[in-house]
Amino acid sequence: MNERLNGVAAWILYAIAAAVMVFILLPLAVVVASSFSNTYIVTFPPKGFTFNWYVKVLGDSEFQSALKLSLLLAFGSTVGALLLGVPAAIALTRARFRGLQVLQDLVLSPLIFPALVTGLALLQVLNRMGSGNVMVNLLIGHIVVTAPYVMRTVITSLQLVDLNLEDAARTLGASRMRTFWKVTMPQIAPGVAAGALFAFMVSFDNVPVSLWLADAQYTPVPLLLMHQLVNVFDPSIPAMSTIVIVLALGGTLLLERLVGMRRAVAI
Amino acid sequence: MMPVPSLDVAAGAVAQPKRSDAAFKLSVGFLALPIALFLTIFFFYPAVQILMFSFMTQDSKGITGLPLTFSHYTHFFTVDLYARVFWNTLRISLTTSVIAILLGYPVAIVMLRSNPFVARTITMIIIAPLIVSVVVRSYGWQLVLANGPAGVLNWILMGLGITSTPLTLLYSETAVVIGSLHVFFPMMVLPLASALGKIDRNLEDAARTLGAPWWRVFGRITFPLSIPGLIAGFTLVFSLTAGSFVTPVILGGTSVIMLGNLIEQQIFVVYDWPFGATIAVVLVGVVIAINALSTRLLQARKLRRVAP
Repeated sequence: MNERLNGVAAWILYAIAAAVMVFILLPLAVVVASSFSNTYIVTFPPKGFTFNWYVKVLGDSEFQSALKLSLLLAFGSTVGALLLGVPAAIALTRARFRGLQVLQDLVLSPLIFPALVTGLALLQVLNRMGSGNVMVNLLIGHIVVTAPYVMRTVITSLQLVDLNLEDAARTLGASRMRTFWKVTMPQIAPGVAAGALFAFMVSFDNVPVSLWLADAQYTPVPLLLMHQLVNVFDPSIPAMSTIVIVLALGGTLLLERLVGMRRAVAI
Repeated sequence: MMPVPSLDVAAGAVAQPKRSDAAFKLSVGFLALPIALFLTIFFFYPAVQILMFSFMTQDSKGITGLPLTFSHYTHFFTVDLYARVFWNTLRISLTTSVIAILLGYPVAIVMLRSNPFVARTITMIIIAPLIVSVVVRSYGWQLVLANGPAGVLNWILMGLGITSTPLTLLYSETAVVIGSLHVFFPMMVLPLASALGKIDRNLEDAARTLGAPWWRVFGRITFPLSIPGLIAGFTLVFSLTAGSFVTPVILGGTSVIMLGNLIEQQIFVVYDWPFGATIAVVLVGVVIAINALSTRLLQARKLRRVAP
């Protein structure tokens, strides 16, 4: 493999790739480094070393309730996305009828639709329905955004399933249900897990939908962070950001262990 | 324990699914019904409502209704302030996508053709930030690009003696492009890498054996065969940048306004629903146009390859 890349051209490629890696990691590294700074405003280079900002953030009731809300919302919308998305993925890969492709394009369309407009449109309709429960509204909005992700990863896994195995099970007398649970499900399980975890992360990071549906009492973590960026300048902002980075890293490692990153993202 | 079926029963079991197959393939389709209903109520219907709002008028009590009008659209495209936001958005999205292409090729090629350890590390570094909140990533750039000597970039440049006065980068279009590039770069690299990965290596080897220098191999073989990935990546980066909200708020401040920020202002500050809806429809129009264009380009390519 290595002999493919050699000569001056290869060194230029490596140099560009290395520069891009620095470009990607630099802002995250700066955030993490600033969170330990023993100063009252964020400065660079950071001075001293302290965990005080983490103590402050983790003890802050506003952050605690935002984190609780975000986790609950991510969990709820993942469950909702799975319940709606997995059956739909089965239908879209196993059914044969006219208009199937159109149906698939339609249910996956929230993926390319600007999420900001998805949220705005939903706000307008929920307002008119008189749905005043902010938590329910947020949950609905997040499911609209996350369910297509689940469908996409599960559809990809279902397309890779060896249909001969299903046929064999059926020929041997297994019912369709039994075939699904015993033959198909084990093959798509990593895809379902990846879709679920990805849905969780997408919900946890969402701003463009939450922006419209949240209120002062129910503010998820990314929105809280965005509001605080404007009026707080001490290192509690980088500390809060670092907590978000660590949570995301945990999710990434889990995804990598489960299915491998490339497949999970399914781009 | 399942009884072992006799040969007769087994033969019947083979025939059975065949007969019920058509019925099954139709009935399994009903599993898509819940999501179809859910999205109809909470996605398609609201989207149609927004489209309708953009043609309605709002009275002094803030109630939106008849008469129908096209005036919000003419207002949007003729008032200089709004038209400028429209062109700014297109320019930022285009610049970001083009830079993503130029940097995407080297990274995707190194990702595919270097040793497994390097390839794996690059894949992780490219994808992991995808899961880190856009707010956090934009905030990171705010610290890096901060104006004055306390900004990380200025600190480095001044420390190295490259400049003596700090650069003013934050709250400029450049800052928004840098931030968008950081946020959406994976969307370019991943489709590119998968298109490049599908290219038959023998083609490149053959060209090289016949004496073609690397740039000709790239120009005549690698690049043309990677175009589907390029188009997919371009479409993703362009549409996502055009629809962004967080990055321009954090890195553009009040001086760089994109369509998304304009929508938010119209709804939350001005309370002008019809005009906010109009801008939303324009944004969706941009995204649909770029997706339609890429689909057509890909189809035209397929047709050309089928023709002799």
